[in-house]
Amino acid sequence: MRDVAIIGVGMIPFGRRDEDTLMDLLAWASLKALDDAGLGDKSVDAVYVANMGGGMIQRQTAIASSLVDRLSLLPAAAETIENGPASGASALKNGLLAVASGYYDTVLVVGGEKMREVTGWRATDFVATMTHPQAEYPYGITLPGMAGMFTRLYMEKYGVTREMLLAISLKNQEMGTLNPYAHVEMALDRAGIFDSRDAIVNNPTSADPLHLYDLCPVSDGAAAVVICPLDMAKKLTSKPPVLIAGFGQATDTHTLQEREDPTDLKAVTLAAQQAFERAKMKPSDIHVAELHDAFTILEIAESEHIGFFPKGQGGKAAVEGKTRLGGQLPINLSGGLKARGHPVGATGVAQVVDIVWQLRHELPKTRQVKNAQNGLTINFGGFGNNVLCFILRRVQD
Amino acid sequence: MKKIAITAYKCKQCGKLHYPFHDRCLQCKGREFDKVEPQGNVKLLTFTRIYNLPWGFDQRYLIIGVGEFENGVRAMGQIGVDEATPLQVGMTMIPSWEPVRVQNGENVFGLKLTPIT
Ligand SMILES: [Zn+2]
Repeated sequence: MRDVAIIGVGMIPFGRRDEDTLMDLLAWASLKALDDAGLGDKSVDAVYVANMGGGMIQRQTAIASSLVDRLSLLPAAAETIENGPASGASALKNGLLAVASGYYDTVLVVGGEKMREVTGWRATDFVATMTHPQAEYPYGITLPGMAGMFTRLYMEKYGVTREMLLAISLKNQEMGTLNPYAHVEMALDRAGIFDSRDAIVNNPTSADPLHLYDLCPVSDGAAAVVICPLDMAKKLTSKPPVLIAGFGQATDTHTLQEREDPTDLKAVTLAAQQAFERAKMKPSDIHVAELHDAFTILEIAESEHIGFFPKGQGGKAAVEGKTRLGGQLPINLSGGLKARGHPVGATGVAQVVDIVWQLRHELPKTRQVKNAQNGLTINFGGFGNNVLCFILRRVQD
Repeated sequence: MKKIAITAYKCKQCGKLHYPFHDRCLQCKGREFDKVEPQGNVKLLTFTRIYNLPWGFDQRYLIIGVGEFENGVRAMGQIGVDEATPLQVGMTMIPSWEPVRVQNGENVFGLKLTPIT
């Protein structure tokens, strides 16, 4: 197996992009990554496209074939990867394996989604189609609903409070104001959404105990990376290559009810363990992380399941500022899904792009972890039934 | 009428109870199961009141929970109370099969849970 490095990254601003098609989003993010890698007019060997909703929302399938045509990357190998909200990390995993094995040298991985084309009502239904088709979906369960039921159990078992969830919303939306790619660029006012009379109106219950500002927005967006063997990286780019040092993936039962302990996100624990093992690292070696905070509770629960904090301590750590810039382990300095947004197919790739910027030390001081060397991502599919973890390492000059 | 049958499957080899159906036992990979119908009342394990509903639901909110029948079968269901009715994890609910959704112009019957008063 060969070591694989990320040599180019690109993202387009997330949000509501009415004027652009899904293919525009994918193409523009791809070109940014190809240019960032310094490939010029050179082609790539293969393209992996992460997308969950093209077939349902845009009524467009075989998106990867269409993309290589638009980008003049023919005759590169191409395929679309659909793995729910974990599609992005899944596409990168497939690229990683292809390069590591020696089958391909240069691979473009791009993830994108255009969800605002339909009403919120339709988008909620689209996302809910990943629930169990007989045992869950017909009841009208939504992903925020799954998160609500999970949060109730997590609060009961570990003493997580609304105050702790609030710490995540405030931090991530504050970081979003500093991120030009973020969908939500509005800082939250604690009183306005929590401890004033207006809070009931400003921050209504969405799926109790979760409120509106515990949820990520529905977004359009795309992000891309270019990977190649590490020993080729230095010939292709002058930027510091970032090594994919570790990768892990695990699955869990489709329904929450069949998990022995529904508060135990086993797939997160296993994916992270595999990644740490392959990277020969431990949680304390990580300097910055992008976690899948589709709901505030998930940032807390994932930070514990990865091993950054003991079980039951993640919420406290967030309240104490340990996950802010300058803290013990800064999490979601991009604003996370909460503020960067969550175009489902794009998210797993966008998380990796943000970590690459951190490890190249390219971000403004307000978001840059000083001298960051190692970063981690968690891309969480379904309600924790398919989870991928990447550990990235800056390659020393 | 379309009905969501909550039939559980008990592995003939190790006894593990499954709902929904799996082709192989999650514990021992056994492929043979005895069908088990849910029995008795339901203990509420968790629940949520959802206010942002998916397409196909023409109402303001929906209360959904996961419960465990007296014979151990666990399933999701809709909870038939108004939003102000206090609910608690652990409370006992009475199961019934009622319309839970309209799909293709047809009522789909599924598990409804009502607290014992
Ligand atoms: Zn068995």
